[in-house]
Amino acid sequence: MWGDWHQLWEIVSVPDNVPIVALLFLVPFYTWYAFREAFKHDRLIAQLEGDAAMAKSHHRKPYPFKTGWDREVHVWPYLMRIEFLAAVILTVLLMVWSITLNAPLEEPANPNLTMNPAKAPWYFLGLQEMLVYFDPWIAGVVMPTLIIIGLMAIPYIDTNPLGNGYYTYRQRKFAIWAFLIGFLALWCTMIVIGTFIRGPGWMWFWPTQTWDHNRLDFAVNRNLHEVFGIQNRWVAMGFGAAVIGLFFAVAGYAMHRLCMATEFSRKIYQRMTLLQIITMHTLLILMFSLPAKMVARLVFRVKYVLVTPWFNI
Amino acid sequence: MPENENNDPILAKSYSGALLISSLLLVLSMFWALWQEFIGLRPWRHYQSEFASAYGKFLRSEFNKQKQSSEAVLNSPEYQKLQQAAKSAADAAEPQVKQIDQQVAFLNKRITALSPTFITARGEVTALIYQVEIAPSESSRKSRQDAVEKAKKGPFKVELPTPDGKTEQKSFTYDELLAEFDSLKNQKADLTLKRADVRKAADDAAKAAAAYFQEHLEGLTAEQIKSLQLAVQQMNVSIRQINVNSAGLVDRCQSCHVAMDAKLVPPTLVLTKASFGMEKNKDAPFTSHPQPELMKIHNPEKFGCSPCHGGNGRATNSIIRGHGRNPFWLWPLHHRENVEAGCQNCHASDMYTYYAPVLNQGRQLYRNKGCIGCHRYEGFDNEGEQLLSTRQLVRQLEQQKTDYELEMPRLSREGDKAQDNKTAQWFYAQAENLRVQTSLIDAKLDQMMVRSRSLLREEKKVGPSLKEAKMKLRKEWIYYWLENTHKFRPDTKMPQFRFKPREPRAISAFIWQMAVTGPALEKQPPGSIARGKELFESRGCLACHSIGEGNQKIGGTFAANLSRVGEKDNYDYLVRWIHNPRQRTRPYDPIARKDLGPEDYKKYGKDFIFDLDNSRSPDGKHELQVQQQTVMPSLRLTIEDARDIASYLMTQKHADQEYRATDFMDDPKLLDTGRALVKNYGCAGCHEIATLEEEGRIGTELTNEGSKPIERLDFSLLTEKAKRGVLPDGKPSMRDGEKYAEWYDHKGFFEQKLTKSDIFDQGRFTTQLKMPQPNVSPEEINALTTFLLGSVDLQVPKDYLYKPGDQRRDVQEGWWLVTKYNCMGCHQIAVGQPSSLQSMAMYQAENKFKLPPPLLSEGARVDPNWLARFLENPAMSKTDLNRNGVRSYLAVRMPTFSFSESEIRKIVKFFQAISSQPQPYLPPKMEPLTPQERAMARELFTHPAAPCLKCHATGQPAHDANASAPNFLLAPDRLQPAWTMRWITDPARISPGTAMPSGLFNLVEGRWVFSGPLPPSLKGYPKDHADLLVRYMFTITPEEQRMLLGRTPSGGKPGAK
Repeated sequence: MWGDWHQLWEIVSVPDNVPIVALLFLVPFYTWYAFREAFKHDRLIAQLEGDAAMAKSHHRKPYPFKTGWDREVHVWPYLMRIEFLAAVILTVLLMVWSITLNAPLEEPANPNLTMNPAKAPWYFLGLQEMLVYFDPWIAGVVMPTLIIIGLMAIPYIDTNPLGNGYYTYRQRKFAIWAFLIGFLALWCTMIVIGTFIRGPGWMWFWPTQTWDHNRLDFAVNRNLHEVFGIQNRWVAMGFGAAVIGLFFAVAGYAMHRLCMATEFSRKIYQRMTLLQIITMHTLLILMFSLPAKMVARLVFRVKYVLVTPWFNI
Repeated sequence: MPENENNDPILAKSYSGALLISSLLLVLSMFWALWQEFIGLRPWRHYQSEFASAYGKFLRSEFNKQKQSSEAVLNSPEYQKLQQAAKSAADAAEPQVKQIDQQVAFLNKRITALSPTFITARGEVTALIYQVEIAPSESSRKSRQDAVEKAKKGPFKVELPTPDGKTEQKSFTYDELLAEFDSLKNQKADLTLKRADVRKAADDAAKAAAAYFQEHLEGLTAEQIKSLQLAVQQMNVSIRQINVNSAGLVDRCQSCHVAMDAKLVPPTLVLTKASFGMEKNKDAPFTSHPQPELMKIHNPEKFGCSPCHGGNGRATNSIIRGHGRNPFWLWPLHHRENVEAGCQNCHASDMYTYYAPVLNQGRQLYRNKGCIGCHRYEGFDNEGEQLLSTRQLVRQLEQQKTDYELEMPRLSREGDKAQDNKTAQWFYAQAENLRVQTSLIDAKLDQMMVRSRSLLREEKKVGPSLKEAKMKLRKEWIYYWLENTHKFRPDTKMPQFRFKPREPRAISAFIWQMAVTGPALEKQPPGSIARGKELFESRGCLACHSIGEGNQKIGGTFAANLSRVGEKDNYDYLVRWIHNPRQRTRPYDPIARKDLGPEDYKKYGKDFIFDLDNSRSPDGKHELQVQQQTVMPSLRLTIEDARDIASYLMTQKHADQEYRATDFMDDPKLLDTGRALVKNYGCAGCHEIATLEEEGRIGTELTNEGSKPIERLDFSLLTEKAKRGVLPDGKPSMRDGEKYAEWYDHKGFFEQKLTKSDIFDQGRFTTQLKMPQPNVSPEEINALTTFLLGSVDLQVPKDYLYKPGDQRRDVQEGWWLVTKYNCMGCHQIAVGQPSSLQSMAMYQAENKFKLPPPLLSEGARVDPNWLARFLENPAMSKTDLNRNGVRSYLAVRMPTFSFSESEIRKIVKFFQAISSQPQPYLPPKMEPLTPQERAMARELFTHPAAPCLKCHATGQPAHDANASAPNFLLAPDRLQPAWTMRWITDPARISPGTAMPSGLFNLVEGRWVFSGPLPPSLKGYPKDHADLLVRYMFTITPEEQRMLLGRTPSGGKPGAK
């Protein structure tokens, strides 16, 4: 049943989902805001670069861009007062929130009768959604570990010295796009899918579709080697490994071309050591493996590419 | 600092505006939080203060009212007299009391003077004695003992007051001091006792006056109201909770429902919304409990509120949460109409719960409408299960016996082979033990056989046996009935099945072809219809059966309406059925699983005779089912009476009803389809059907249905409608005046399912639900829903469950049988429970005496051993069965139920228990009559003011034609003297409306004296007249009675005094 606004309201109004509803608006807003600032500063940088004297003194940093302005200001009061203001506003928000919305308690736990859909806390819904595309070992252990390792590795593979302390797009295109795809397109989208789209039986319900507990779906998901009619297990494993190897090769090459795209990026790229390059490529390829697998799963109904007795990909 | 620093936005920008606004918001949100903390989340504060003012107002008006009425009592002459008596008694005792008081005062002075010295001395001496006890050596012990002796010598000097007001100096040793002190104390105690003695008369008189005041003032006294007012004034607004640690119970319901607090509102005060002038207020939780009696039985300090009512006892922050009506709370408050569901929590094993009529109705319906046929319910109709387990036990015991018998010779042989005597003897002893064991097993087996015999008798079916369909029913009718169950008989208990096309054909064919065909029925000549009608209406058939359609309907609802019986029944069969409903065409052998015929008996050279006395299988090995599994009893009618009634019933039909020919019922090809369908629909749950006798129940067990997780109740395609409060027909659901109330809960499920059993199949591509449409009214649906809502898992500690081990258990077991056999059709058993017959036109006013006796005090009335014999054989005769054993004058017949031994035992214990009679019953000894007393008793017995034999039967037909009371000859065996005494002195109290006259005796100075003109011989007789009569009654002989009959004025109209 479509057009069921009651259902939509029921999902949206659950106290648990309020952060995600807020996320729907706040994330685009701040993205837009950040880009606005970035472009503003990019124009400023361009202006400063046009002025030879300024360019020299400012090392491509926009602030302080007027002569006579201090190079540094005191923490107190100039930083603290803004932080204090933010703290006050946040406290008001938290108080109003805690008064109006109660902790969303649900039924008592019953191991004989689990809830349907059983959803993780909202910040883990992205991981839970990943379970649809990978086996639990990959989605639950390998991927989260890699995400953490990847985040930790960023300072060591980022050789671009620009863009510290001010908004800029031009100087950090690569980093910004990597962030936008990794955080916005993958992490946030998966949380939104997990919250608003996944209903009983973890089935796909478009917004305003009734979450019918009796709904039955027919879908056949096959492993890739089955699609190609490969029967033998060892052959299948070899085939799967080959496909994944191919994916890595193609993606690695594409990534390389991307890094070599502009003069600026070539310069950065050349500064990196081999270890840095390999780490970055591996992490990014792994990141892109998620959308690749999502497409394979949702569009081509492929369950696993590589099936081994120990793990599946 | 550069001079143009102000241009730097970081330095120059002012945030004061933003800071001001956000700080204001912060303060505002803090106030909001405080409001929420103290008022918003504590609605009970408001309720308590509102209650305090409303209740205070109520008490003020009550105080004025009560002051006037209490003044009226205080000024009444009786009270004045009592008050006067109290005063004069007090005056009389006054001088003596005064003297005693003076003496006590003097003693007190002396004790006070003595005390300090005494206490000091005692402290010193006991401390020294302790030192002696822990002395390390013999020598030190000696020296320490000397110290004790020295300390004891004193001397202790005390200034003691003397009677003349002066003081005297006295010197004591320690022992003397002790003695003096004790003696003073003793003297004082003696004087106190004496004072109480002296004042006793005065105190008693004052108490009598106070008691008189209490008794004659309705409601509370002015003082009580004053103290309540004080309590309300001092009441502080706070959480009020009941905390029962052992039960994990914390109920804060009283925080809003303040009037439940017994300290503020005593149980004698009943508060309704009207008391506060708040009738219109939807939200005023100030009424006191509407059933104060229940609160006396269930002390709220132990039981709390939520175990009975549901709801979330801990929640105090909103009405919805406190009532547990919020999502995911498993035990929401029971709705008003289902409030008795809470009783079932602890009273699940009751058959009859006092104060819970709706729940009782639900239980009764569950059995009577045949729900139990498909849905098992713990404790309901489990004779079948018990029978199975008994049989299993028998098999085990037999196996054990065989094992022992094999073991015995082996052990003996081992003994023979043994090396020494000791070993040999050990083996022989073992063999001997086994031999004894087998005899014990035999005893057990015997008991098991008796038990299984009982159980076979006890096991009843809700519907009639279909094995007899061919002999009993009109062929075409069966098919018609399956399709038009409720149309043919609108009040039948059989549900309407939702058959698919052509299914009824196969089912009727299966029933028809599986039915037994013989031995053929005896051909019966027709009887008299007019006499049959009269018998039908007077013999008591109407206690269970109804007859007539629509407004014309009369009779009980327990059994079928017989209005159209003539269309379906075979006359010959009907005669046999009325003559003895338990008679079977063929006995059923539960081991061989078949109905036995003459050919099976012939194999063992036996005649085809089977009845309760010949219930063994032809090979003599096990018990047969020799009765119809119906609760309908035998009325012990003659065959002529049976014919008359049957002839009358055969006239009960719609002459214009046409039945289509049903030749397909003889088609053997339909047999297998039919069998599968009958199994599928669970017909064998209620009916006895050949080859399906041992079929199990097909429905889900409902013992704990009320606590089944809601997800397991399949609302199917109605789930969303239920959650949004839309009924299946699209209308909004209504609950407690709330529109679009969610019905996605157990109550909603049960109600909808009972209203339309296939409701949750609606819109399904294939139907899955087999449950037929039950024939229940909305009121009955509510009763069943209440019963099911209460059928939950254990939620309270085990010791809260009502599982009495004493007589109350006998009461519950008895109720089970009393409702099983519908004793209440004829008899009144509980106070306020009318029998079916009682309300009928033919038993009103002066015809009341024609009713079967009420059994309210049956246990106290009769000797239990007699009662057991009577229940076994209500005719009280082996030969003349066509009569009532006790009340031969009643047209209504006490039927023969063919109870099993255990049923008789339970019923007898039930009657004893409801009358609180001790078990076992020992008949009291009676003082024999002296010849003079016998003569006096005769005089009384035949006194014109109380001619006993005018109404009481004697066994002489001519006299008994007008009799309206039982024969005295039965009394010694049957009655208990104490009850008889109560009966003859005030029968109307025991049985209102009885023909037995009340006021025959007057209570004069503690003994009963005949109230009519006293016969000369009795004048001066110092003993109790009623007792004399009772003693005489218990010794009366037939000769004596015949002689007395001659002296009695001849019988008049029954009931005339």
